[in-house]
Amino acid sequence: MSQVTRILSAIEQGDPHAASQLLPLVYDELRKLAAQRLAQEKPGQTLQATALVHEAYLRLVDVDQVQRWDSRGHFFAAAAEAMRRILVDQARRKASSKRGGQHQRIDLPELAERSSESQVDLLALDEALQALEQQQPDKAEIVKLRFFAGCSLEETAQALGISRATAQRNWAYARAWLFGQLNKS
Amino acid sequence: MSQHAPSPETIFGRAIEIAAPAERSAFLDQTCGHDPELRRALEKLVMDHFRAGHFLEPPAAGLPSPLGGEGPGVRGDAATTAPAIQESPGTVIGPYKLLQQIGEGGMGVVWMAEQTQPVQRKVALKVIKPGMDSRQVIARFEAERQALAMMDHVNIARVFDGGTCGAGVPPASESDAGGTPAPQGRPYFVMELVHGVPITKYCDDNHLTPRERLELFVPVCQAIQHAHQKGIIHRDIKPSNVMVTLYDGKPVPKVIDFGVAKATEQKLTERTLFTQYGTMVGTLEYMSPEQAEMSALGVDTRSDIYSLGVLLYELLTGSTPLTHKRMKEAAYAEILRMIKEEEPPKPSTRLSDSGEALASISANRHTEPAKLTKLMRGELDWIVMKTLEKDRNRRYETANAFAADVQRYLADEPVQACPPSAAYQLRKFLREKTGTRTVVLLSNQSDRRRTKSENPRT
Repeated sequence: MSQVTRILSAIEQGDPHAASQLLPLVYDELRKLAAQRLAQEKPGQTLQATALVHEAYLRLVDVDQVQRWDSRGHFFAAAAEAMRRILVDQARRKASSKRGGQHQRIDLPELAERSSESQVDLLALDEALQALEQQQPDKAEIVKLRFFAGCSLEETAQALGISRATAQRNWAYARAWLFGQLNKS
Repeated sequence: MSQHAPSPETIFGRAIEIAAPAERSAFLDQTCGHDPELRRALEKLVMDHFRAGHFLEPPAAGLPSPLGGEGPGVRGDAATTAPAIQESPGTVIGPYKLLQQIGEGGMGVVWMAEQTQPVQRKVALKVIKPGMDSRQVIARFEAERQALAMMDHVNIARVFDGGTCGAGVPPASESDAGGTPAPQGRPYFVMELVHGVPITKYCDDNHLTPRERLELFVPVCQAIQHAHQKGIIHRDIKPSNVMVTLYDGKPVPKVIDFGVAKATEQKLTERTLFTQYGTMVGTLEYMSPEQAEMSALGVDTRSDIYSLGVLLYELLTGSTPLTHKRMKEAAYAEILRMIKEEEPPKPSTRLSDSGEALASISANRHTEPAKLTKLMRGELDWIVMKTLEKDRNRRYETANAFAADVQRYLADEPVQACPPSAAYQLRKFLREKTGTRTVVLLSNQSDRRRTKSENPRT
């Protein structure tokens, strides 16, 4: 049984402290994976942050055992938070190196956020997300799982123990709210 | 507050399902008329929902998304009691092991999967969602698969395989309460997984010149032509459905995500359903006037040609004819009107109106600003504007005809496109200014033109 599986098992059995052990492990794995990926990828292709999360899941977790555990959601929650920090750090570094003048060698590879026609301002999103976490933490969690970990609505609903319909509705709500925050003129 | 009052989230959830703005407003009056602050907050939230478009949404770039829609599942007729999805990472379907869900739409879900036999590679696997397996949906899914399988073109993502999955599905206890367990045997098909970036991003990241962009664009037209010859209309051509991938260091565009085989078979309601979750808003920039008309009868291959024109416009000038910004800011009804009636500026005009942005637009095209604008004037302007004609009879007849004119331009040969005739321009001008239909009569005997205005409402 892998270390992460052991932790998930502990969570499954009700251990209240186990969840906090996940984040550092997941964070490390994601950073490692991202560095590996960059070495392999050809230029002109972008890395997908959420693909990394799912790959980390397959590597860290004994999938057959964990498939039906509720604690699976904890993995994705930790991965989402880890991915968020990695991306925000990268965005901060990029922003400051632009101002700084000399081009700094960046530790982490260029990770692409979800590619949409209009790129999301990650730092602004992070700030808005922090505000949402304060006001409506349950909705912020949905956003994190979907956007940073790439969870489907079903996976998200399952992870949070809510119905799919509620997940869908609250996702729409949170998304609209964040959009409003990011587009205040 | 009354304990029976619905929560803001509940009101929001119902409000976004109401397509007509007037009805929606009435609904908000009904539910929170007593609390003007709440009403205002919810109204803004609902507006932002529709404006948000693809904001924060899946799928990830480079990977095919299903039938027309992107993002969260659309509420279809069957879906109110849809059971929880039964596949998850690690599920094995035939020789394919599911890795990550990468797309979700009305009918199906797309996974990135690993194939083990007979070759080892990553693929895209599309499977019908549980709860969507009515006979009719399965028939449409099958039709899409067959349509895709009929295509064989280097610039179209290929279909490898298809089948029915049933084994390895966890028991019904996994699903949400109230759903009927999905019967065994949901169809799936397996497609080429395209690792790449949208064509617009590729061109900008690599600072392709206008010429290089045109050269990359020609095979895209040829791919669409191939599809049209097989009786398939894409109906959703836009940068994220035209991915550029590298083969031996050379960029190759690949068209992904084809809609169902023939326009006549697709129900109109599918499109209007997408509206409820705002997913329409993202592709409105590429929508042809006849599509905006929402008439299922009106969409044929020339609709794709219009969208190709929008794509070329964007590749050349950095923005779509009807800009994303305006789409975001306008009400839905206004957007449809714009698509149907508003004449976009020529590419050269758009460039010269770009102000400060022109510097970065030209940098991305590795061309000096003045030179870029000058390059557009004349033939490139005409070619692009021909595809954007509101009257589809005036567009190129086929995608190949479009490609051929682009190739003529590249070869310094005379192009077929030309600026519209004076009479035609006068008609358009009068229509815009007066909002009425105008018949321009040209007398055979003399050069004098008389106009006769008619009120279209009578």
